[in-house]
Amino acid sequence: MTDITLNVNGEVKTASVPPETTLLKMLREDLNFTGAKIGCDVGDCGACTVLVDGLAVNACLMLAAQANGKEVLTIEGLSTLDKYHPIQKAFEDVAALQCGFCGPGMIMATKALIDQEQELTRDQIKDALSGNLCRCTGYTKIIDGVIDAYEKITGRKVPARNPRAA
Amino acid sequence: MQPFDFIQPDTIDGTITALSNHTPNVRILNGGTDYLVELKHVHQSPGVIVDISRLTGIKGISLIDEGLRIGSGVTHTEIMSNPMVKEHVPAMIDAAHVVGAVQTRNLGTIGGNLVTCVPSMDSGPTLMALDAQVTILGPNGKRQSSLQDFFVGPRKTSLNIDELLLDIIIPKENLGKPAKFIKFGLRKGQALALVNAASALWLRDGKCTDVRIALGAVAPVVIRAKKAESVLEGNKLTDNLIDEAAKVAIREAKPIDDFRASKEYRNDLIEIAVRRTLKSAMLNSK
Amino acid sequence: MVDETKLAEKQETVETLRKVDDDLRLPSVPERNFFPKEIDIAPARLQTPAIGQRATRPDGRLHGLGQTKYIDDMFFPGMLHAKIKRAGVAHAKIKSIDVSEAQKMPGVQATLIGSEIPVNSFGPSLQDQPLLADQVVRHAGDGIAAVAAVTEQQALDALEKIKVVYEELPPVFDPIEAMSEDAIKIHNNDSNIYASKTIIKGDIEQGFKDSDYIFERRFTTQMVEHVPMEPHASIAEWDANGRVTLHSSLGRITLGRADIARTLEMPINRIRIIATVVGGNFGGKNEITTEPIISLLSKKTGHPVKCVFTREDEFISSTTRHPFIMDYKTGVSKEGKILARKVRIVCDGGAYCSWTETTLGKASILSAGPYNVENLHVDAYAVYTTKTVTGAMRGFGAPQVCFAYESHMDDIAAELGIEPLEIRLMNAFNEGSSSPTGQVLESVVVSDSLIMATERFGWKEWQK
Repeated sequence: MTDITLNVNGEVKTASVPPETTLLKMLREDLNFTGAKIGCDVGDCGACTVLVDGLAVNACLMLAAQANGKEVLTIEGLSTLDKYHPIQKAFEDVAALQCGFCGPGMIMATKALIDQEQELTRDQIKDALSGNLCRCTGYTKIIDGVIDAYEKITGRKVPARNPRAA
Repeated sequence: MQPFDFIQPDTIDGTITALSNHTPNVRILNGGTDYLVELKHVHQSPGVIVDISRLTGIKGISLIDEGLRIGSGVTHTEIMSNPMVKEHVPAMIDAAHVVGAVQTRNLGTIGGNLVTCVPSMDSGPTLMALDAQVTILGPNGKRQSSLQDFFVGPRKTSLNIDELLLDIIIPKENLGKPAKFIKFGLRKGQALALVNAASALWLRDGKCTDVRIALGAVAPVVIRAKKAESVLEGNKLTDNLIDEAAKVAIREAKPIDDFRASKEYRNDLIEIAVRRTLKSAMLNSK
Repeated sequence: MVDETKLAEKQETVETLRKVDDDLRLPSVPERNFFPKEIDIAPARLQTPAIGQRATRPDGRLHGLGQTKYIDDMFFPGMLHAKIKRAGVAHAKIKSIDVSEAQKMPGVQATLIGSEIPVNSFGPSLQDQPLLADQVVRHAGDGIAAVAAVTEQQALDALEKIKVVYEELPPVFDPIEAMSEDAIKIHNNDSNIYASKTIIKGDIEQGFKDSDYIFERRFTTQMVEHVPMEPHASIAEWDANGRVTLHSSLGRITLGRADIARTLEMPINRIRIIATVVGGNFGGKNEITTEPIISLLSKKTGHPVKCVFTREDEFISSTTRHPFIMDYKTGVSKEGKILARKVRIVCDGGAYCSWTETTLGKASILSAGPYNVENLHVDAYAVYTTKTVTGAMRGFGAPQVCFAYESHMDDIAAELGIEPLEIRLMNAFNEGSSSPTGQVLESVVVSDSLIMATERFGWKEWQK
């Protein structure tokens, strides 16, 4: 067993886990952050996306031991008692999610994207979210939610969709 | 996963010592985007995992006497945003961009991609087309190797259990060499390559020299299409000659027939990939 | 509106209380600071009539906050994890199953094999599917045995130690081959065809005689897996009263209770199923999978038992969409009016029936398309093959036939030089048309919808 200390959502948390424990398992079972989901456990679906030191990663492909001492941001860390995070608000307003299982991963990937503070096109958004699969929505509303959040947070506009383009 | 011991040496020397101490039941782990998937499906413990994800000695991209040095621990995301890569070997940016998805690229390293050595690896063709060398460190010291010698077979390289891939060096004379990488997959993202390829060449007085064409996913390892190269070498680059070289390249490959694509389809893709990368490299040199 | 003074007072009280707790060394509950307590309620929920108002999904907020609890997010004290061993062979007789080595593995609390289940068969129409294969394996995803252990890894390790001796039988993968008389019979029947439907309307022989052109083509569709983001998951808890409580991703809980009552031979009123928010169903979670198995494991161990499918399980052991082989023969006048249509559908029915009978029924009736076909003959067959079970998936047979009849329509239009929209408008259902089974249709808007759709999508511009 190894002692792992993480700064999760601004709080220091410690747990003693076997070395082969993934960051995903530790977050879900030892620290009770069940937002990140097990969709495939092999890094294909993105349902386990969390931010480690600001980078979007698949928590199922990182050992908890590799994350020792790092800053981890999960879906539970976006909102506070008083403030609902703009990405979550945008997703709710446009009804981006249906069953919701892909939601935490999508929202964390969106946060990583918007934090990069660059000019964004619809295609770049699709590229940035290509690691997050959704089976319910067909992605259209999710991208609308991302654009809504991006425009509110950065004040910039994303070029409108060309209906003829793919 | 099966239980294992986990150690995280602070230095490269410490890593080599750890590898030697625990050979043969020891494995290196960095990004884990391929190796952790493997570990989740095997029934034996790897023994001791030596984690190199924090080793600063294998990070960083810098210009040295020999050329451009890329640490084996550099992630695909870091390659995509590095100004020196953009200036000297921009084809590597395309190659890094097509690896998996954002999450994969944030953890996956170029060294890991080379060492995992799947035939469809995305970083192999560009590096091979630029005559890249790899530096390997072991208990007996350093050695350099070409990629052709490094890639032995599917998922097999010349790296021993107690050795560490240190860095990749792109020779000085190939910095700025016009090159292009292309990947064909069933999807735009998170796709295994059906065929990927890279071409690099110098265009001087209308004639091309030092032509390199590397093909991936169509043989047990990434290969050079040497016969196709010799069709072009020293000659004036015309559309007809490019077409001819592309057709010759098909015969040098041995693509498989599987549920993703038939052999015939992959052959078609080889021809298109070679043609497009050559044309692109030619345009880049104008 | 937040009153600043009240907030400051409240925080002071909280701080004082926390200090008192610290002094008394009481265990403190960490502050949960991640969801807003004040919510703004959408106007649609505050007024009547709400019709015409913009409403938001009630679960949207919980999803966005990551607060939705799916089955795998639930943990109960003393809960065990169960995993299922899959056959890995398409068709075989089971000679023996030996779980003794698995039972000795660390952390293993109980094992279960098919012979321990009171009634080892279930299915929405034909009860031809075993919960755990006992005598014969009919597809590689068939479950052979289940293990309940303290951790998931221990359960998976124990599966490796289960020894099964198979006598392999020849597999049958092609449904048309499976239809022939001398094909290997997968179930103890005279034929692998286990369901069929025939629809006869009018006189197709005369219809074909009257036709100026006859078009024939075969259309095939492939097996599709739902891939819900959430794998199948259930938790069973057997209590000291002999009642079982299940939390399950199951979509049809009444059917589930009936199936569990039947397979475990217990009164239905002793079974309680709590269906929680599901992470995608699409038809794949419409029948029981491991519920009776984990109920028995819970009974054996006295602990709650959770079973979550791995993604591999999802692909090989959960139901999929039927591959169809459809032979269409259509006779048309030279103007493009359909005069006769003959359809043969061979439905790859997988190893077990599941929802095939419903699929077959729907597919047959819809196979002529929303078009007036006065002379119609449809023969549809569901055939066993030693492949993954085919069951319900969005459309229940409609998507496959739609692909066929619309592609066929385009082929005919191209051959006759008629505009694709025109040929459809010429043949589409009208008010009062009769369906293939003779139902007189009302509120028919096929033509209007087509025209409106083509206008909205810019069909004419696309054609240029």
